[in-house]
Amino acid sequence: MKFIKVNMNKKTIGVEDVPEKYKGLGGRGLTSIMINQEVPPTCDPLGPDNKLIFAPGLLSGTPLPNTSRISIGAKSPLTGTIKESNSGGTVSAALGRLGITAIIIEGQAPEGDLSILVIDKAGNASLIPAQDYKGMRTYQFVEKMLEIYGKKTSVLSIGPAGESRLTAASIQSSDMDGHPCHAAARGGLGAVMGAKGLKALVVDQGGKSADAIADPKAFKEAGKIFTKAVKEHPEPGQLMPTLGTAALVAPLNSMGAFPCYNARKGVMDGWEQISGEAMAELIKERGGKTTHMGCAQCIIHCSNEFVDKEGNYVTGSLEYETIWAMGGMAAIADLDTIARLDFLCDDIGVDTMSTGVAVAVAMDAGYKEFGDGAGAIEMVKEIGTGTEFGKILGNGPVAVGKYFNHSRVPAVKGQAIAGYDPRAMRGNGVTFATSPMGADHTAGNLIGLCLQGKLDPMQAEGVVEISRDLQIAMAAFDCTGQCFMATVAAFDPEPGEAFRKVLSAKLGTELGPDDFPGAMGIRVLKAEREFNRKAGFTNQDDRLPKFFYEEPLPPHNTVFVISDEELDSVFDF
Amino acid sequence: MRITAKLYGTLSQQFPEYRHSEGIEVEIPDGATVNDLLALLEISESKGAVVAMEGRILKGDDTIRHGVPVQIFNAIHGG
Repeated sequence: MKFIKVNMNKKTIGVEDVPEKYKGLGGRGLTSIMINQEVPPTCDPLGPDNKLIFAPGLLSGTPLPNTSRISIGAKSPLTGTIKESNSGGTVSAALGRLGITAIIIEGQAPEGDLSILVIDKAGNASLIPAQDYKGMRTYQFVEKMLEIYGKKTSVLSIGPAGESRLTAASIQSSDMDGHPCHAAARGGLGAVMGAKGLKALVVDQGGKSADAIADPKAFKEAGKIFTKAVKEHPEPGQLMPTLGTAALVAPLNSMGAFPCYNARKGVMDGWEQISGEAMAELIKERGGKTTHMGCAQCIIHCSNEFVDKEGNYVTGSLEYETIWAMGGMAAIADLDTIARLDFLCDDIGVDTMSTGVAVAVAMDAGYKEFGDGAGAIEMVKEIGTGTEFGKILGNGPVAVGKYFNHSRVPAVKGQAIAGYDPRAMRGNGVTFATSPMGADHTAGNLIGLCLQGKLDPMQAEGVVEISRDLQIAMAAFDCTGQCFMATVAAFDPEPGEAFRKVLSAKLGTELGPDDFPGAMGIRVLKAEREFNRKAGFTNQDDRLPKFFYEEPLPPHNTVFVISDEELDSVFDF
Repeated sequence: MRITAKLYGTLSQQFPEYRHSEGIEVEIPDGATVNDLLALLEISESKGAVVAMEGRILKGDDTIRHGVPVQIFNAIHGG
């Protein structure tokens, strides 16, 4: 259990034991609680007072499968709120195996200075000059890092967007094959990393100094039960390795809740051409991979490798939210174009969701026609080449809306919504409005309940309570490093109990249902809300854009109807 | 009555002849429910299947209407 503290002004690296007040925390819990305590809430997110924190989950580096998600936290330059963005890949497990609880990047390098933080298999950290890699895109950069440090190396890196401090910039995470196709994409944390003068974090995967598991026998027994439940669950066990999250395209369109044409409609013309089923068929025909192990210790394999007509790699881990943002919002009914856009975003280092929605806002304002795939590619390329328009696009949909004086911007607290329209799925509207992160589907997604027939997507009554409970649960699970696909199995009582026992055995503390997810999730959300309040956010910021309340969404022609008072009661604890 | 169902996710795997462009035709009694339809198709509960019709997610005891195509998916919690 140790912190690695890096001061970018002085180029110094300190290693210290985890202070008492942060013990037992990991992932989002650690980043959010530390930011709330140590980062001045009104600071410039791109200035020296902000801190960028990399924290593996509490279970990362243990033998439990599907636990390689890393939380990255800072004050967000996109939203102005506290931010935790997490990513899969290999780095979280690598840091966990080194017994590193967090890496904290402080201060700011002199203007123009760029470094790489390298951690070897003994856990020693060093800052290496990165001037030679300035402006380099992520795919080429990771290739170079693997040449130098070996194939068993994990890389978190930024592309030109992050170096230029664009506020939709991502931090890309390398997968099992060394492709930087996973991302801590939301909230512009790539810009914070760029502002610090840090190009990348490079970690050897061969660490053998993981923190001890307090009760290894109990851990093994409960872990076995939970892993079996993950394998046998129809979602992580069967659906995810078949289609991945792209399986959502069909139900969302069939429900009329797929925001498309910049959220003017709930069903996209030609959506079957970009469905998960269509993608799997196309990949199979071309000899790509419909299922693929993207993250360390993954037994689900929801990832994929999209290839072109000649069978050449185009992009990896093409997921629902990207297909929705690029395909739905910009109305591009062509998987080859969507895959190309996904690759460009990963390579330049921008959030595919923010970028897709930003493109859609520009199209809605008349800059290009909806469905203009070639136009969308040219627009996204401009982010990489750094044109004036590219910079605006790379700052996300709100910046684009301002540029065109266009008010139809589907974002909350500056962050684009995800692929669930709040007018046809009202519960997700509650989460989008109230999450301390800005609009965020991972903060508490009600789609599972809707598709299980437990909740009418149009239902307004009771969804505040459901969103609250899910936001608490997700805040807690985000502390563990476990992938959401596996967490789905923990929603059932017996595996849920087994998971709690795994966590108890790791920490050496008996956790009851009130402790996890309950108390842990509430503690995290309270810290995040407190930071946001001190940064100047009020209940008035917990609102959806006006058009969701006024403009009916076809085909159901409904609007968002949850009152302000109800939204204000979400965090009534 | 005969209805047309389109199958998504893993659900078509148990019908080797299934063609997505055509869907699958099923003969169901008048007044048949969603549960009846899933039973006729031998789609087990463990698949977590969900049926939609005219843009609405149906419950197990909802009635299938004549002439209205249905879509059948696996439940999924998000992405």
